Amino acid sequence: MAKTYDYLFKLLLIGDSGVGKTCILFRFSEDAFNTTFISTIGIDFKIRTIDLDGKKIKLQIWDTAGQERFRTITTAYYRGAMGIMLVYDITNEKSFENIKNWIRNIEENASADVEKMLLGNKCELEEKRQVSKERGEQLAIEYGIKFIETSAKASIRVEEAFYTLARDIKAKMEKKLVSKLYTPRGGHQLKASELQKKPTSWLSRCTIL
Amino acid sequence: MDFEFPKEFDVIIVGTGVIESILSAAASRVGKRVLHIDENEYYGGQWASFNLEAIMKLKNSQKERIANKSDSNFLSFGNDLFNIKNIDYKFHVLPKKNKVCSEEKDKEVVDNNLQEVSQDDNEETWDEELLIKTSRKFNIDLCPKLQYARGNFVELLISSNIARYSEYRSVTRILTWLNNHLEPLPCSRSDVFANTRVSVVEKRMLMKLLTSLNDEEKETQNYESKTFKEFLTDKKLTSNLVHYVLYGISTSSDHTQCKEGIQKAKRFLNSLGRFGKTPFLFSMYGSGEIPQAFCRLSAVFGGIFALGQPIEGFALNDEKFKSLTVRSQTIKAEHLVMGIENLPKQFIKSKKHDYISRCILITNKSVLDCEKEQLTLIFYPPENNKSFTTIIELGYLTGTCPNNVYLVHLIAKQDTSPQEDFKHIIDKLFINSYHEMAENNHDKPHILWSYYCSINDSNDVELTEDLPKNIFVCPGPDLDLDYDFSVTKAKKIFNAMYPDLEFLPRAPDPEEIIIGDDEITEEAKEITEEAKEITEEAKEITEEAKEITEEAKEITKEMTEEAKEITEEAEETTENEINDVKNEKQETISEERQHTVE
Repeated sequence: MAKTYDYLFKLLLIGDSGVGKTCILFRFSEDAFNTTFISTIGIDFKIRTIDLDGKKIKLQIWDTAGQERFRTITTAYYRGAMGIMLVYDITNEKSFENIKNWIRNIEENASADVEKMLLGNKCELEEKRQVSKERGEQLAIEYGIKFIETSAKASIRVEEAFYTLARDIKAKMEKKLVSKLYTPRGGHQLKASELQKKPTSWLSRCTIL
Repeated sequence: MDFEFPKEFDVIIVGTGVIESILSAAASRVGKRVLHIDENEYYGGQWASFNLEAIMKLKNSQKERIANKSDSNFLSFGNDLFNIKNIDYKFHVLPKKNKVCSEEKDKEVVDNNLQEVSQDDNEETWDEELLIKTSRKFNIDLCPKLQYARGNFVELLISSNIARYSEYRSVTRILTWLNNHLEPLPCSRSDVFANTRVSVVEKRMLMKLLTSLNDEEKETQNYESKTFKEFLTDKKLTSNLVHYVLYGISTSSDHTQCKEGIQKAKRFLNSLGRFGKTPFLFSMYGSGEIPQAFCRLSAVFGGIFALGQPIEGFALNDEKFKSLTVRSQTIKAEHLVMGIENLPKQFIKSKKHDYISRCILITNKSVLDCEKEQLTLIFYPPENNKSFTTIIELGYLTGTCPNNVYLVHLIAKQDTSPQEDFKHIIDKLFINSYHEMAENNHDKPHILWSYYCSINDSNDVELTEDLPKNIFVCPGPDLDLDYDFSVTKAKKIFNAMYPDLEFLPRAPDPEEIIIGDDEITEEAKEITEEAKEITEEAKEITEEAKEITEEAKEITKEMTEEAKEITEEAEETTENEINDVKNEKQETISEERQHTVE
């Protein structure tokens, strides 16, 4: 099958439970919003292909599968990730404070050059705001990453956030740094389709000897 | 952490080893409520991979757990029988280079990884400090595994769709120690042709034998109680060929039974040509990724995970597991699954314990230099009463070590101690000490760091009969090259818990998933639609009723009018009649009058 994209980026969503990671994922991938998610069950990752400067970029965005709740995200989750959205809830001080812990977690587990971005979600709830926009900006500057306030519910700047992150990763890749980035790549992905491959064991054709 | 777990689950799993994790995924996948906890802060227990600093922090013995409750129905988790033993590690390089050099290094490492890769090129610069600095680039397995490309484990990964959580690399070459040097094991057709050490006659013999192995029954007729080695010797193979087949292709020892040897050889041959030149796959970033992949699937299907949990113990009721106490919280479940290291000692029957000897080395180059980086498996045959040893050499491309060093794993059944068990191999293949290194011996790889330990092989551990029926125990690491035994064991436990449910059916791809809430919305929509229809109908009926009423009214009106008319008519008629009668009377009277007049 011909490849239908130029680049494939693996992106992660990280942050406390209830900050709206899954909602952001759904807003971006399906342009839908649903407030009834209790936790993230059955959602592995979502895919959306976007167009950036004439290149087709397939974004594979992974959800935490609820493993953030007791801080038990598998190290395997971070493997091969090129971009990470750090999400907090602007109406929840604690979720903002925890961003530092999540960044430490990323430093321990993800590739050192993973592209990060800070999102203050639920910005439509201005009347309940606990974290000012300035504090978000300040924290982002501290870590040298970009910052956007979003609302998955009201569909505010979610697209912009993903496009920005994707653009930054693409720019990094195009600087020809790609081969050394994201540490060793190119392992086999074992696929079901390979089951149909005819066994090419030499036993089957060794009769000529 | 301030949180509470739900109070009840279908199954609680303690320990995140491979078998426990497969079970977690399987139970969660079929909709069971799973709580999966571990006392360690990391996934995998003794199946985990560690970075360089973390593996050196592992302790020989864990804290001993003493039941603090006198209640005989409350049991503490854990036993000290399955701890890692004989841990011994050291650096074989200088702690630090001279100051100028180390400052430079600091800069390189801190600067950024991109530069570091290219500057590591100078292999003479490795020192203790630098190794520690690159600690995170190491993923060191306590229990490294390779997978047969057509083994049960790989088939399960694919059929359950769990393969998407990990990446694999094929082993690129298999070597064996023969005639006092390392040589490639001819395991593919082209290998056989390329092998200059094998004569044409031997090539024919080897091909003939391997082809004939498919006809298993006929071949083994007279070898019911004989070893595979006897079988091969009787085939009049040359000693080189016996070596290749026995210690290589069938991964057998001198004592392996004929039937088992043939089965093993067949598994090897069947797995050729699926993913690479050899039958084996290695999971990138270490074997510790495997339990995590299964845990991820479990979480995706709703399993709740908590690591670093202080588990107090569990309560029995009627000789059955009732509840578990963690963080002073009591949690009930129908079944309890646990790794053998968590089982209270009283349930372990076996007195004798087998150990696996382990040695891990960081070296500065491959045991057999090659232009391209190789992922090497070495079968080192038994020698002078030393056990058969499996050696796996991993390079940078496997994601288990930094560029320009190699990670070497040695695995064997323990005879005396890990150091003793591997000494003959280390001496032959590597340069052991820093002093030797100075002697300008560049042929062999230098050891930069070494680590020895003993791990319990708990596959054959017997348990007592009074183990509650709803408690299931998973053995820890074993000597097998692959995870096929673990898959079989997990399946068996799953079937005992849920005899009617399917074991790890294929998990849907993300694009196939319809979110439950959407279904509800859809349903709500349908109901609304229906309600609308009903309202519409009701409206119609009302309208009809109105019409009918109107009609009825009209009819009444008409009838009233008619009645009126009739009455009026009747009245008129009566009047007329009266008049008529009057008239008649008058006529009669006048007639009578006439008569009288006449």
